[in-house]
Amino acid sequence: MEGVSDDITVTSSNRKSTAVTGTARKIKDNAADWHNLILRWEKLNNEGFTAAGNIINIRQTHSQRDQLLLADESSSSSSSSTAPSQQTGGAAELQEECSKLKDVVDKMVVVVTKMERLVTSQRGIQELEQFQFGPEGRKFPLFHTWNTKQFDDLCRVLLDAFCQELKLKQMILQEVAHTATSDLCMVYLSCWLHLPYIPPQTRLNLEALLLETGHRLL
Amino acid sequence: MSKPALLSLHQALRKSFHSLESNQREWRSVLAECSPLMESLGNLAEQWRALSNVQISNTPLRDFPDLQERLTFKLLQATDTVLLKVNEKMSSLQSVRDSVSNQVSAVLQLYEQNSDSLDLLTVTERSATAPSVSDMLGWLQDAERHYRQQFLRRKTLLLTLRAEDLSLLEDAPKRWKSMESSSAEDRITNTLCKVSFFVESQ
Repeated sequence: MEGVSDDITVTSSNRKSTAVTGTARKIKDNAADWHNLILRWEKLNNEGFTAAGNIINIRQTHSQRDQLLLADESSSSSSSSTAPSQQTGGAAELQEECSKLKDVVDKMVVVVTKMERLVTSQRGIQELEQFQFGPEGRKFPLFHTWNTKQFDDLCRVLLDAFCQELKLKQMILQEVAHTATSDLCMVYLSCWLHLPYIPPQTRLNLEALLLETGHRLL
Repeated sequence: MSKPALLSLHQALRKSFHSLESNQREWRSVLAECSPLMESLGNLAEQWRALSNVQISNTPLRDFPDLQERLTFKLLQATDTVLLKVNEKMSSLQSVRDSVSNQVSAVLQLYEQNSDSLDLLTVTERSATAPSVSDMLGWLQDAERHYRQQFLRRKTLLLTLRAEDLSLLEDAPKRWKSMESSSAEDRITNTLCKVSFFVESQ
């Protein structure tokens, strides 16, 4: 409900043409979509973190086991018969976790693609407004105070952040199962968990967007 | 005989032991909440150590702009958040310490005010259901000392922690754990057992 935007200036301009209400509706829906997409991303991030952590643990266990086996083999030959079954067990586990991680990254690609569509949609709204009202846009804000360009700018900033973060995750996906040093593995895990390209303002920006469009009450 | 003085002292002692029991519960529960936080701190220290050991430019991460700075910033933020939460827990521990201290000093003050009318025999007299006044005062003082020292040690440890000093961060969880004194805690539990008849009686 646009109950929050009941100041006179908005409703009187709403009455002038139905297309204006449509735009506000679209922007408000986009804001809700952003919120849902970011929530989905956070959930995927946690799932991916678990999978990546498992991959690293399996590899570490196996490299330790291999080292022990090598030490054993040099002293006795009987242990070599148990080695293959342990190794194939580990390989299957590793494959499963890698699949899970790939699955997470694929779903993240879907999320970012949807974000791109939201930005395109916002762009369309911006262009329509320029067509209707000229280069300065509409005189009165659709909601509280933001002009349409501010929505546009904010959405681009969000998209850029998530795009860059996705690239990082894709790289981690490629490297994490092959990385030799445990320190680098830990750095990959840190990068996955802490989202270096999503600044803390992102949460604030999202909240501001939701406040502005009336999803959150002031 | 000094009946009224003894009665009021007994009343004060009962009140103190009631308070000690709830304080002990509070202390234990807050400490239990600190454990996962200290574990997080240890985790973060591991991540810091790994980052400092890695030369990003020698890894596939080299093509990501400003990655080192951004990750450092996020780790700092996470570390600060945990330290803040631990400090909040310390406030709760401080409240327990203060509560126990206040109770014990009130009882001791009452004893001192009446010490003229309470002779040695009265003070050391014990029965099947009531320990002697001197024992009970001693036990309260032991409990007070335990919480005072525990708080001081833990607070000092936390005050020395800085996100920038990696070795301190790495040691912190171990040092925190080493401060657990189950023997002192058990003594307080035993005390509460020993005074249970006394506290229930009226």
